[in-house]
Amino acid sequence: MAFIVFSVLIIFMAFMEAAIPYLVKRTVVFGVTVPEQHVTDQRLIHYKRTYAIIVAAVSAASFAYFFFWYTRTKPAEEQIVLYGMFIQFGIMILSVALYFFYHGKATRLKKAENWGENVKQVKAADLSARTHDEMLPWYVFLLPMIITVGVLIYTIIKYPVLPDQMPMHWGIDGKPDAFTNKTPISAIQMPLILLVMQVMMMAMNLSQKRSGIKVSATNTTGTRTRQLALRKYSSWFTFLTSLLLTMLFVFFQLSTIHEGLAGDAMTFAIPMIFMLLVLVGTIIFAIKVGTAGNKHTAPPAEGMGDYDEDDYWKGGLFYFNKNDPSIFVEKRFGVGWTLNFANPIGYIIIFVPLIIVLVLSFL
Amino acid sequence: MIIRIEPESDIPIYTQLSNHIIEGIARGELHPGDSLPSVRSFAADLGVNMHTVSKSYHQLEKKGIIRIVPKSGAIIRSQDELRKDGTHDELFMEALRPVIAEALVAGLTRQQIDTLVAAVINDFKGKA
Repeated sequence: MAFIVFSVLIIFMAFMEAAIPYLVKRTVVFGVTVPEQHVTDQRLIHYKRTYAIIVAAVSAASFAYFFFWYTRTKPAEEQIVLYGMFIQFGIMILSVALYFFYHGKATRLKKAENWGENVKQVKAADLSARTHDEMLPWYVFLLPMIITVGVLIYTIIKYPVLPDQMPMHWGIDGKPDAFTNKTPISAIQMPLILLVMQVMMMAMNLSQKRSGIKVSATNTTGTRTRQLALRKYSSWFTFLTSLLLTMLFVFFQLSTIHEGLAGDAMTFAIPMIFMLLVLVGTIIFAIKVGTAGNKHTAPPAEGMGDYDEDDYWKGGLFYFNKNDPSIFVEKRFGVGWTLNFANPIGYIIIFVPLIIVLVLSFL
Repeated sequence: MIIRIEPESDIPIYTQLSNHIIEGIARGELHPGDSLPSVRSFAADLGVNMHTVSKSYHQLEKKGIIRIVPKSGAIIRSQDELRKDGTHDELFMEALRPVIAEALVAGLTRQQIDTLVAAVINDFKGKA
């Protein structure tokens, strides 16, 4: 089973990583702003293709190795998990390394060709964009939280009948494989962690909604379509993740309270279904956002170019702009959001919940 | 309505913003009673400091073009309201003086200046 899970994860990851250059904004190539008229430069197309081919080929080779290793040696579950994780990290490190390689190449190419120089740099904003914003309001995120609070209260009521050993960790078959002594804290640890994550997702949705709708001055329609798609689909995706996570955690908590509540098949199926739904959701999200607004290509405007924000993007990946009140901005390499690292509120939204979750897990 | 600014220009960003908003009203893209975006969201959309936007809004408020209402934001005032404030003739005269003087020095005739002014008005209002 672990083999199938990790096979799915490895293939999924390889596809996503290899596809990134084709899913990002057209005018940003490996984290470097490129003027509209140079987007189709042969060298840039070549960079993107080579990146995708290398990531795909190395992933395919590692997967083939993984497959033969599994069929030949019939390794133990723990070993499969270890190898599977190792391959995933390998693909990730490879794509980051390749990213930096091509980021450097694209930066030098832009400099050598003087792209975007000697043109008037313009920033734009669309005053009517916000009336078309379809992000979910923050309060729908209260719904899964209400469920969590309900389960929390139910756990407290049922405290006397809880088992003496509370599960801490679940194996790939959905069965607990690590336990801790029953204490008031360990009893409600799961719903508490869930609650913290739900609050974090609500805060992310809220602050993404308050972040800027960035449009380009040269292709306002196309960039606006993409920004609105990113906002709408990421808020839906965050909400669905919050709901699914709630169902998963609540299922674990209830099967701890009522031993034998669910049969082996269900215990096994529910985490799998959760994983598949999240993966499918990620793919739909990446494609929907990655292709939004691509049809609108504006004719190059004479003497006018987009404001080059490369200076704010350290390594083309990390956005530092202390003037911009946005907490989140669209990623340059990848589909989704990244923090404005010059805004301290972003750190609070992401890192405080993570620290609380870590502290709760080690209590 | 699309607002375009040039961060590298000699004209400060807040002045560029005010000018664009005024032009938007003159063109009929923004209407009296419409509210402008909140300072935070406007600044976030453009990626500029919130003080820049707030400075522009205060400049517009001083000119009487918008009204800043706590909680509802910045609302564009109607021409009736503006007229009640009294005439601004002297103000416009002052502003026009150096421009017209420069045109005369450059050798433009009265008719040519009239044509230019008419062209600018046509650009905003459409040909009457």
